[in-house]
Amino acid sequence: MRRLATRLPRGWRAVAWVGVLVGVAAALSSLPPITIRSPVVPVVIGLFAFTVGLGSWIRGERRIGGYAMAAGVIGLLIGYLATRSSVGNLETVVVWGALLGAALRYATPLLFASLGGLFSERSGVVNIGLEGMMLIGAFFAVWGADVGGHWTLGLLIGVAAGGLTGLLHAFFSITLRADQIVGGTAINLIALGLTSYLFLRIYGNEGTPTGISEIPNVSIGFLDETPGIGGFLDDALGDQNLLIWAAFVLVLAVWIVVFKTPVGLRIRSVGEHPRAADTVGINVYLTRYGAVTLSGMLAAAGGAYLSLGALATFDQNITAGKGFIALAALIFGNWRPFGAAAACLLFGVSGALATALQTYSTSASYLFEALPYALTLVAVAGVIGRSIPPAAVGKPYVKQ
Amino acid sequence: MSEPQVVLELRGITKRFPGIVANDAIDFDLRRGEVHALLGENGAGKSTLMNILYGLYSPDEGEILVRGEQERISSPGDAIARGIGMVHQHFMLIPVMSVTENIVLAVEPRREGILLDYGTARERVAELARSFGFAIDPDAKIQDITVGQQQRVEILKALYRRADILILDEPTAVLTPQEAVELFGILRNLQREGMSIIFISHKLNEVLDIADRVTVLRRGKKVETLPTAGATEEELARRMVGRDVVLRIDKGASQPGEPLLTVDDLHVRDDRGLEKVRGVSFEVRGGEIVAIAGVDGNGQTELIDALTGLTRPEAGRILVEGSDVTGASARKHFELGVGHIPEDRQRRGLVLEFSLAENIGLHDYRKKPYARLGWLYPKRFIERARRLIAEFDVRGGGPKTPGGALSGGNQQKVILAREIDRDPRVLVAAQPTRGLDVGAIEFVHRRLVEERDEGRAVLLVSLELEEVLSLADRILVIYEGEIVGEFPPSTSEEELGIAMTGGGKREIAA
Amino acid sequence: MTVTQVESPPPGAPDAATPESRWLERLDGVLAPIITVLLAFLISGVVVYLTTRDLGDTLETYRAIFRGSGLSWFFELGGHDIGVPFSDARVWFPWETDDIASLAAANLQQTLIGWTALVLVGLAVAFAFRCGLFNIGGQGQYIAGSTAAILVATELPDLVDLPRVLLIVVTILAGMLAGAFVAGIAGFLKGTVGAHEVITTIMLNWIVLWVATYLFAVDGPFQTEEGGGAVPSSADVPEKAKLPVFWGDPLLQGLHIGLFVALASLVVYAFLLNRTTLGYEVRAVGFNPDAARYGGISVARNYFLAMAISGTFAGLAGALDSLGWQFRLDQTTIQGTTIGFTGIAVALLGRNTAVGVGLAALLFAALETGTASRNLDPEIFPPDLASSLAIIIQGLVVLFVGAQFVILLLLRRARTRSAAGST
Repeated sequence: MRRLATRLPRGWRAVAWVGVLVGVAAALSSLPPITIRSPVVPVVIGLFAFTVGLGSWIRGERRIGGYAMAAGVIGLLIGYLATRSSVGNLETVVVWGALLGAALRYATPLLFASLGGLFSERSGVVNIGLEGMMLIGAFFAVWGADVGGHWTLGLLIGVAAGGLTGLLHAFFSITLRADQIVGGTAINLIALGLTSYLFLRIYGNEGTPTGISEIPNVSIGFLDETPGIGGFLDDALGDQNLLIWAAFVLVLAVWIVVFKTPVGLRIRSVGEHPRAADTVGINVYLTRYGAVTLSGMLAAAGGAYLSLGALATFDQNITAGKGFIALAALIFGNWRPFGAAAACLLFGVSGALATALQTYSTSASYLFEALPYALTLVAVAGVIGRSIPPAAVGKPYVKQ
Repeated sequence: MSEPQVVLELRGITKRFPGIVANDAIDFDLRRGEVHALLGENGAGKSTLMNILYGLYSPDEGEILVRGEQERISSPGDAIARGIGMVHQHFMLIPVMSVTENIVLAVEPRREGILLDYGTARERVAELARSFGFAIDPDAKIQDITVGQQQRVEILKALYRRADILILDEPTAVLTPQEAVELFGILRNLQREGMSIIFISHKLNEVLDIADRVTVLRRGKKVETLPTAGATEEELARRMVGRDVVLRIDKGASQPGEPLLTVDDLHVRDDRGLEKVRGVSFEVRGGEIVAIAGVDGNGQTELIDALTGLTRPEAGRILVEGSDVTGASARKHFELGVGHIPEDRQRRGLVLEFSLAENIGLHDYRKKPYARLGWLYPKRFIERARRLIAEFDVRGGGPKTPGGALSGGNQQKVILAREIDRDPRVLVAAQPTRGLDVGAIEFVHRRLVEERDEGRAVLLVSLELEEVLSLADRILVIYEGEIVGEFPPSTSEEELGIAMTGGGKREIAA
Repeated sequence: MTVTQVESPPPGAPDAATPESRWLERLDGVLAPIITVLLAFLISGVVVYLTTRDLGDTLETYRAIFRGSGLSWFFELGGHDIGVPFSDARVWFPWETDDIASLAAANLQQTLIGWTALVLVGLAVAFAFRCGLFNIGGQGQYIAGSTAAILVATELPDLVDLPRVLLIVVTILAGMLAGAFVAGIAGFLKGTVGAHEVITTIMLNWIVLWVATYLFAVDGPFQTEEGGGAVPSSADVPEKAKLPVFWGDPLLQGLHIGLFVALASLVVYAFLLNRTTLGYEVRAVGFNPDAARYGGISVARNYFLAMAISGTFAGLAGALDSLGWQFRLDQTTIQGTTIGFTGIAVALLGRNTAVGVGLAALLFAALETGTASRNLDPEIFPPDLASSLAIIIQGLVVLFVGAQFVILLLLRRARTRSAAGST
């Protein structure tokens, strides 16, 4: 317990976190079940959160203070807009359990890819090919399940194909020392072309057959019996895909591997200062190969969730930019597992809101889709405490 | 007395790089418990030899014997396994990680088979540091500790791996004099514990101070191994350089004119916010060479950057021929008549991919006749380059040759040509002969004296005492960001050396 | 205190460049891209072979793609005559220009329309490269350009009645400005806070994409019903804002005068880089920012300018496409384009030179037209697969260009070996 207490934020950092919470409260104040109708309330609360954030930002707590300011502004806007809408409308759009459930479904593929990217970039190899690796995973998972007859085989084949794609990226960026961004771009193009090609060649215009073995959902029946919040819990978690639960476990596992094991220490050292790692006898090339291959496998698992878990079908360019959102989440989360997971969830909530908003206004929901990218842009611009990548990322290592 | 035990022997090591033999059949041996210095000028092959021993390069010929066994060392891992540790000139530490993490990297204690046992690691590091009397916080991040402490972390890294042979590559180059003294204390301690140490250096006094024996290298060849007892600096210098006389340039007495560069109470911070120049004041008159002498890292780089407009000073004033240029842009500086021969000619002085003509135009590409209304006239660049190439005897290429294709000496000539041709009033020359061969050094020196005689104010910033003494009309010594004394060129190296290490502060004659 | 990161030691001073070795280097610069392309076609040939299971059909597929690209037009020699613009005179011309008589002519027009945009987006990537920046945001800058052009072309005539030429010029300028603005953000952030341009341009790509989608989506502020398509879209560009077509049928996507704008841009690019003080600064910063700063050049300013100019090229591409043949924007078009990535392939393959970009753009434009489904015989190769094949080839080219130094190394090694063998 004492260790936990020492890890709690203090000083201006704690104040800033309070600001974040207040910002969230600004939005909540006029949403169900509270639904305060006066626009003054969310505006005042939002401004207060912004002020708290600004205060701690000035006092040096840039990152969290910035979050608080952002939370204040966004909370104010959402809260204000909600007061302009009818309660009935609000209650159809904002069903918290369903929203959270949707957010989790939206976040899961991002999470896999993001954590994959974390390994690659922590080892010093930029991976903008996540999108392509997801796409490869998505296609081969469906194909594998179709041919092999069972989703486990599909998942396995999808992940293996992703690993091979990662290996390709590793070969070009580590052994051939090609520019890593060029390599990633190539991976994205090849993956897009290849999966479309194979999809049309194998399945033609009818698409993937129905009845492919899917990754199952995990039903937790007793959740809705929870007193008070039973409906909420059941909507959010009662019937979610196996991979969503796996993603939760994965975040913890990645954190342990990266920060609590010798392997993680070595991966990070290779990404920060490869020559230093080399001089103590760490095989830089092998470490990077492993990390990049693993990143392909994880990204492919995210893709497999999209095709085999969520939709049970594949379509051309099914990922539609999710790999890039995952990259954004990785950067936004400052190359840390929990940071990336939080970013994925945040992006998931905004994605779920965007979808929910569609019943309201299609165009406005599109505007919402831009939010993750805008937030990340602000984050790398350093307005909100700067995201700092591993020192050696993007630089090929030349052994002496 | 028993025969001293040889722990390490190198026989006939040869290493060739394209166009150069870095090590030519070198023999070397190290006895248990001794400090053996490897002495030589820059480029003599010291670091190459040690990188071979540490498995970073593989030798083309020759063999390595560790404790009498012939060994193949093809990676640092092999070297570590044989008890060889190395402290590199540029530290191999990861700035964002803790002292403990850096030390245990690749030999981490584990618990439950797969987890990193950070608690045990920290204990061991603390224990090891205590046993050698190092004051180091095992949890501090490398980026937050001093260079001297970082060096100790490097030594601990080797000790943690149970090294009994320790290689130190120019360890004092980055240290303050006090830190160097402390380092020598540590090394003597280690020696008593039975550690055998190879000490790479090109500083004679250090070698005589710390080493038991010294092996002198010159141009990739071994000159001799001799005990330091009874050896003198002159003797070592002759072996290291290969000639007796110290090169002194013929120059007439200076005829100082008006002050062209005036620096008044200048304060400069580096990019990490540390105050590196602390209240420096001096002036340089037309027709004189003023040298700033000092140990590396005492604020010279920041001073030069401020004088040439590359850094904005924190406080103070800089006047060029009476006009205030404090805080003005680099362009403003050279347009008002400041020429700058930069410290690092490849990183800063030249765009290696640009042709010589384009490089020579680096300051003037926007001005008539080279450009008008934003339009370039490449032929005029080439004409000027052709003239200067002839005038400064640049060899190895013409106006269209890329800068990177020239040798170091010729690159430096191109920079000199560019700066001098602009007819500056003040010429700031930072380490203008670093890494050059004798012929090129002579050319640069002669040219600097000529520019003095033309009536320019020359400010020479150099780490080489010999250069300072042979060129300067007045010598200012910089120590920890302050000018601690002014000396005439007749001063002895020894006296300057004392001032450079903070000893014997003097009043500056205003 | 700082811990210095050491880079690998510089290689031994290279031998003084003899005229001969410099000539060989140039030869390598031409050979390497050619080898790259051949390799990409060879590997995708394997994909085709696996599909057709017949070597003859594989070759026939490539031949069909070539025919479909319209480049075969140049081989259809005959005695023809064409009209001289702005007069009634007709003169002899070796090639058939009547695209009803010649299918090749119609295809070539398509290829050249594609070429126009690809050249410009390729230049957008190449210009940034010369300043040491990787502009991966050609996509967003192109969309910004076409969106701005569509908005101005459809809205401006309602406000003021401009003459045709002026309207077109204003519209194109708006597109260029929009592209410059989007790219300029990335350049500004790079120059001021050092935010990596790859990350910022990727983010900007998606921001622009979604904002543009928002504008023209159902109930979006600029969506109209008049467009008449199946998907929600912008209003159509009025007749007077469309670019004049000088070859082919204006109603069937004839070749518009944007082609000359692209040609002129190639010239502008070359002169801007090599003959102006701005180009000198951009190249100096691209090669060595430290030396540039020492030389008195503002690095931040050049990062901004280089990105803004890059964005101008890409925005111009978007504007020309909008006014030249697309005439309206909808969600599918906005989200379906991959031109920004093809632009990267063009710049890389063209080695950031004007001539190289022109040739590489021709290759990719021809590939795109040649693999369009209407140009392929289903007996030889399934047409619906062809456009995917084109993307695979693009990807392979980018992949191999990235490793081009390996090709150069092999070339050099082969040369030294043969030199050693001959002595």
